[in-house]
Amino acid sequence: MEGSRDNPVDVPRGGMDAWLKPIHRWVWRDPLRRAYKLLAFAETEADGGRDLARAAEMTPDANLRRLYIRHAMDEQRHAEMFRRRGRTMLSTLRRRQAVANANWLSPGERSIDGVVVEKDNDEALLAFLHLSERAAAARFAIYRDVLGHDPDTRAVFTRILRDEVFHMSYSRQELERIAPRRHGLRLWAARLHRIWKAYLRVATAIAGVIGTCVLAIQYFVLLPWFALLAKRAARRLRGDPHRDAPGWTVRGSRVRALRTQY
Amino acid sequence: MRILGISAHYHDSAAALVIEGVPVAAVQEERLSRRKNDAAFPVASIEWCLEEAGIEPADLDAVVFYEKPMLKFERILTMALREWPHTFPNFPYAMKSSLGGKLWVKGIIRSWLGVPAERILFSEHHLSHAATAFLTAPTQEAAILTADGVGEWATLTVGRGRRGEGRPTEIETLREVRFPHSLGMLYSTFTAFLGFAVNEGEYKVMGLAAYGEPRFADDVRKIVRRTTDGAFRLDMSFFEYHRGAKTSYSQRFVDTFGAPRAPWEPLDPAVGDGRRYADIAASVQLVLEEILVDIARALRAETGLPDLCLGGGVALNGVCNARILRESGFERVFVPSAPGDAGCALGAALLADRVHFGNPDRMVPIHPYWGPRIDTAELARVAREDGLDLCELPSDEALFDRVASELHAGKIVGWMDGRSEFGPRALGNRSILGAPHTAEQRDRLNRSIKFREDFRPFAPAVPFEHASTYFDLPPGGAVMAQNMSGVFRVKDEHRGKLAAVTHVDGTARLQAVSADVAPRFHALLEAYGRVSGVPVLLNTSLNLAGEPIVNRAIEGYSTFRRSGIDHLVAGRTVVSKRRAPRTGEIGAREDAEQAAQ
Repeated sequence: MEGSRDNPVDVPRGGMDAWLKPIHRWVWRDPLRRAYKLLAFAETEADGGRDLARAAEMTPDANLRRLYIRHAMDEQRHAEMFRRRGRTMLSTLRRRQAVANANWLSPGERSIDGVVVEKDNDEALLAFLHLSERAAAARFAIYRDVLGHDPDTRAVFTRILRDEVFHMSYSRQELERIAPRRHGLRLWAARLHRIWKAYLRVATAIAGVIGTCVLAIQYFVLLPWFALLAKRAARRLRGDPHRDAPGWTVRGSRVRALRTQY
Repeated sequence: MRILGISAHYHDSAAALVIEGVPVAAVQEERLSRRKNDAAFPVASIEWCLEEAGIEPADLDAVVFYEKPMLKFERILTMALREWPHTFPNFPYAMKSSLGGKLWVKGIIRSWLGVPAERILFSEHHLSHAATAFLTAPTQEAAILTADGVGEWATLTVGRGRRGEGRPTEIETLREVRFPHSLGMLYSTFTAFLGFAVNEGEYKVMGLAAYGEPRFADDVRKIVRRTTDGAFRLDMSFFEYHRGAKTSYSQRFVDTFGAPRAPWEPLDPAVGDGRRYADIAASVQLVLEEILVDIARALRAETGLPDLCLGGGVALNGVCNARILRESGFERVFVPSAPGDAGCALGAALLADRVHFGNPDRMVPIHPYWGPRIDTAELARVAREDGLDLCELPSDEALFDRVASELHAGKIVGWMDGRSEFGPRALGNRSILGAPHTAEQRDRLNRSIKFREDFRPFAPAVPFEHASTYFDLPPGGAVMAQNMSGVFRVKDEHRGKLAAVTHVDGTARLQAVSADVAPRFHALLEAYGRVSGVPVLLNTSLNLAGEPIVNRAIEGYSTFRRSGIDHLVAGRTVVSKRRAPRTGEIGAREDAEQAAQ
């Protein structure tokens, strides 16, 4: 056992994140950005809590059900802690203009977005949970370290970190219990799955950018001519008392045929 | 005939199955997928509806989609062109969203269900709303008023419907107001301005309005002007939604009403900006009521009919509905349990049956319980596995007496019974119940169970026959209250006993429960009346913040475990949080934490 809620062990090293500590320090320095990040973290934790509640509803294993429910309640509590702290900070700040959250540089917990709770089994879910909680614990430890100038926010991370370590620990233990011979394989499969999901995220983002570029070109090259016609038609219609006039448009009494999509 | 109705792709997708002219199943996708306001194509709902009826997709005579996707796309494209170049920020998103799926509904239905193309039909959005309202109401001829954000082009329609034995069913749309002029969008814009989620937080605006004074009403009237023909027109310089911008209101709107509220900002309607937000909410609520009452009054004069059927998302505004009933001249106003887009699945299926296929009229049962049944054995099993107190009562009477005394002792009860409701409201089959007498009860529910804003009220449930004893109901008020569709005043002499369900303005959105519609819930209310002297219970939906209302027993159980609910009931099974101490690390820790709570 790596630790429990009451006796947290050392938090895992953050790997690449640990090298990026100066950047994290910069990201967390601005109080407004800090406040918005905490509010964003609150949403992620709340979503994670809902996913875990769903996992509790789906599992046939009574022990796991209890643990998932506890975990879901923890996530809900974390959401409330982040939200309360974020709101307190914002209420003391004069400047309210939103700043970039820089969440891609300094993300919160990834929740279990890589797993479809309804379709995947408990082994896959526990493996994913373990990796996810481990990554979150490492990240939150760094945030705690760079928040020396803000003891209240640091205290929030310290408290949440203890739970993250417990989540990391129970998910590993339970995985070993329900898949005694396959747990290593499951963890590797989950790692590959996370890489695949990351690739899909990047690929979708690139595809989105390409699609936006193509549509933007069309918007400014092709559409102006049609826009001109549409604006003229709209002006003409405004003079017709039965079409697009102020107020009512009179309809024919007949129902449009249900066979057509128009 | 077997007809499947589907609504999807914008918000609250749903499926409904009508067999031989009568609904047999209807459910919102969110109840099965467990994603709040799920807008995805409702595969799980369709599967459940077919399974419930024991039929295969090939057995369907028709599948009806609730709106016309090409007509809707025409509106999106036309607005993009008319407002060029201001529509650029949203254009790529709108096109990707439409061309990437929403436009190809026929193909999606064929690929999921494998039905031939000629069996796939498309209703019009507001006609589906009208059909839901009229064809589920116990009336043979009525005026119909529908209002929501937008369908294809229409945002508000007036019309009339006729049906009955030996004559064809007719639904006639007389006139419509077209996009971008929309009362639904007006209200949603204020919802966004007040920091609530659009398509979700409108009822919070209605609740907040009771705390305010309508001192901005004249400003709102400048934004939404009445036209000489009795309709209305929005001054679009106050809005941005027709351009698909990130915010739905313009800088001019902000100049008029002040800074918008951020979603994270705490809201205390008694002080500072909270006061201003409440006044703004009161103002838009007042203007919405004025316009709709006026339109309804004109419709009454035009049709001469005593009955009105209300549909569309705006018909979820219970304060407005009650005012229409009181002031428009209609004797009865019917609002279906699901007047929003989800309900269109049922309306589209009924419309196809009666109008497209010309099948004879059939009365639709007036209850809202068309969803999946609760499995009491499932609750008993998980409670037993978790070592909770479990009690199987020998009779319904024993159950009602036990639950009534627990409620009277101040306990909170999760109540699951029979089939789930179709629509956004818990009407006694998936409810959290509590004693309605003290404000402390309301505060406890808001803070430790529902985890929601303090200013939001809770609804009372009362036996139909006792409704007018405790509430000031106009003629037809109890009928409107059957689906919790109207907000009425609590009688002065009873407010002290109903503090938890009386809103700050002395009103309540009550549910009048008739014995023939919900016999077990009615019996529970009567049992509570015997114990407490007041047959009224606080009734709120069985879910936690951000989650859909529970569907299965296990979901109710999960909600029960994660909140401060004291007892959970399904059928005659009662589960309680009191529990024998358990051994083991997890059990011991849970026990210790529970004891600490």
